Amino acid sequence: MPKEITLNHITKIEGHASLTLGIEKGKVTRCELGAVEGSRYFEGLVRGRHYYEAHEMTSRICGICSTAHVIAAINAIEDALKYKPTEQTRKLRILVSLGERIRSHATHLYFLALPDYVGYESALAMAKKYKPQLKNALSLMKVGNKIISTLGSRDLHFVSATVGGWLKLPSQEKIDELSKELESVREDAVKTCELFSSLKYPDFKSEGEYFSLVKKKEYAVIDGDFSSEKHKFKKKDYKKFLREYHEPYSTANFVVKNDHRYMVGTLPRINNNHKLLSKNARMLLRLSRIKIPSLNPYHHNIAQAIELVHCIDEAIKICKSLKIRDEPVQKPKVRAGTGIGVVEAPRGTLWHEYTLNDKGVITNANIITPTAQNLLNIQEDIRNFVPSIIKKRKKDIIMDIEKLIRSYDPCFSCSAHFLEVKWV
Amino acid sequence: MTKPKVGFFGITGCAGCLLSFIFNEDEILDITNLVNLKAFPFIKEVNADDNFDIVFLEGLVASKEDLETLKKLRGNTKILVSLGACACTGCVPAYRHFTLKENYEHLLYEKRERIRDVEPTPIDAHVKVDYFIPGCPPNKKEILSFIKDLLLGKKPRQYTDPVCVECRRNNNLCLLDIGKPCLGPITLGGCNSVCTNGGFECWGCRGPTKDMNLDLMIKVLKEKGFDDKFIKDRMRTFAGLKLPVLERVINAKGNNAKPHNKD
Repeated sequence: MPKEITLNHITKIEGHASLTLGIEKGKVTRCELGAVEGSRYFEGLVRGRHYYEAHEMTSRICGICSTAHVIAAINAIEDALKYKPTEQTRKLRILVSLGERIRSHATHLYFLALPDYVGYESALAMAKKYKPQLKNALSLMKVGNKIISTLGSRDLHFVSATVGGWLKLPSQEKIDELSKELESVREDAVKTCELFSSLKYPDFKSEGEYFSLVKKKEYAVIDGDFSSEKHKFKKKDYKKFLREYHEPYSTANFVVKNDHRYMVGTLPRINNNHKLLSKNARMLLRLSRIKIPSLNPYHHNIAQAIELVHCIDEAIKICKSLKIRDEPVQKPKVRAGTGIGVVEAPRGTLWHEYTLNDKGVITNANIITPTAQNLLNIQEDIRNFVPSIIKKRKKDIIMDIEKLIRSYDPCFSCSAHFLEVKWV
Repeated sequence: MTKPKVGFFGITGCAGCLLSFIFNEDEILDITNLVNLKAFPFIKEVNADDNFDIVFLEGLVASKEDLETLKKLRGNTKILVSLGACACTGCVPAYRHFTLKENYEHLLYEKRERIRDVEPTPIDAHVKVDYFIPGCPPNKKEILSFIKDLLLGKKPRQYTDPVCVECRRNNNLCLLDIGKPCLGPITLGGCNSVCTNGGFECWGCRGPTKDMNLDLMIKVLKEKGFDDKFIKDRMRTFAGLKLPVLERVINAKGNNAKPHNKD
């Protein structure tokens, strides 16, 4: 039985994180999971800048979910300016977000998660034996990227979305082309579901509450109420429920809801919204034999695979409904105020809040990322899970812990930069 | 031919530049086979930490750990490549040098043993860098052709023209002409003018060209109605540390710029 487990710079996650675990007589006496990423202070950097500059700067928080940051920032600014985007703009924002989710899930599932389950150190090392699976991954990533670059000119930190509309609209032809390409990869996503449903996951229940955005008639992507099975609140009330705090061992902050831990991400989204999944995705969910609501965080992987199919179906639906009309960018009337943007980033709910003065200059910003919200839940899951596997060899314990951390698809780059000095 | 020993690493950053390389969906499996990929912690469990021929490093120095990692990697590789804007210019995080302390001091950690801030700086502020692949993030094909050049024993081409050259070639409407604060004329191209193609003005993420005419750029922006603060903030967002002359030029009395010819 190991006495201490220290994982410095955990691999195959986005960003840099470490875990320190102390074990005495089969019990976990110390469990500290934290980001060791340097701090970048984005919320401070946008102060003094104009309302139309926020999204371009804050998208740099994250490579893999830059699109989510762009949309969250624009939504927040438009909320502050009391501007409502057109239906076409809203659809394009959803479509680009779905594109990001497709590439992000495919990258996470195959490049970060899968190697653990099939006994390889990396996806690249699997290339010989698992070539068809990796080709699936790459074709899904490619379509995801294609959606983003078609709509936004580039696939990372896309540029065409702006406050008040879309700088350069994609042609109808390009949208129709996307629709066809999406059709051509649906089978790859279905195979991904079959693959991830066939893997053996450790048996474990997480006690956190499962939160995601919800909407009555839509599988929420870029707006909605923040909800779990038991609780629901409006975005404007988020500060009444969510509280951020620090631990000295992490450059990421921790977030709690009414002082309790909670989980965001694909599994909560599926738990809360499974009835709104596409028909194909609902069928695959049934075939996966995971019981909904699933409280096993390892099932994030299956949930992501199912969501891949849903995102493809949903993106095709949007492409087919879009009849691109020329819509010049609107200039909302500048006014003082505070606005909140909340979206479902690939790895969970993302909050942006900005306060503007009457000149449209940002005077305050607050950003809460999915991983900051998940951090406490992951840490406590590790604490609760380790006693049940304590008799295993140290190597195997570490593997189970790493699988657990990776299943959350954490992004420590994102989480490491948002701090208020409130020590507990 | 022995395959070159290659490592891809990240210090403080967003993983976007590493992803930009991975997102070469059609080539990634082949290109990683042409090298001896000894380390890539973002997607590999088993990673060497010394004896490299080429190290690609994403991110900027923002903590003492970053600095230690950087120095160690520099000592353990023949060629060090700055991959992306954070490594090349410090990118948005280094804009902190130019914002008011009161804007971010409420976010600073109390000094704790394990969290050690360093002034945000690009990696060439600390060690010798052999090649730069600029951009936030770099063009994914650019990373690919860089590796191909090295594999063929060629000296990788470093692009020197401003963004405007590619932007014109792409037949874009000049955004400066319609009053947008586009920094294309003073910014290093090689990006295929990907932002202006999408209707978005260049913010200078690839850093300034060597022979930029900063005086004229500032004069044009002023003519378009942008004030000093706006111009400084924009130019410093992605590459402030690479424009040490900005303050002096913008404050220069009189205007020594050549007359602005609209066509």
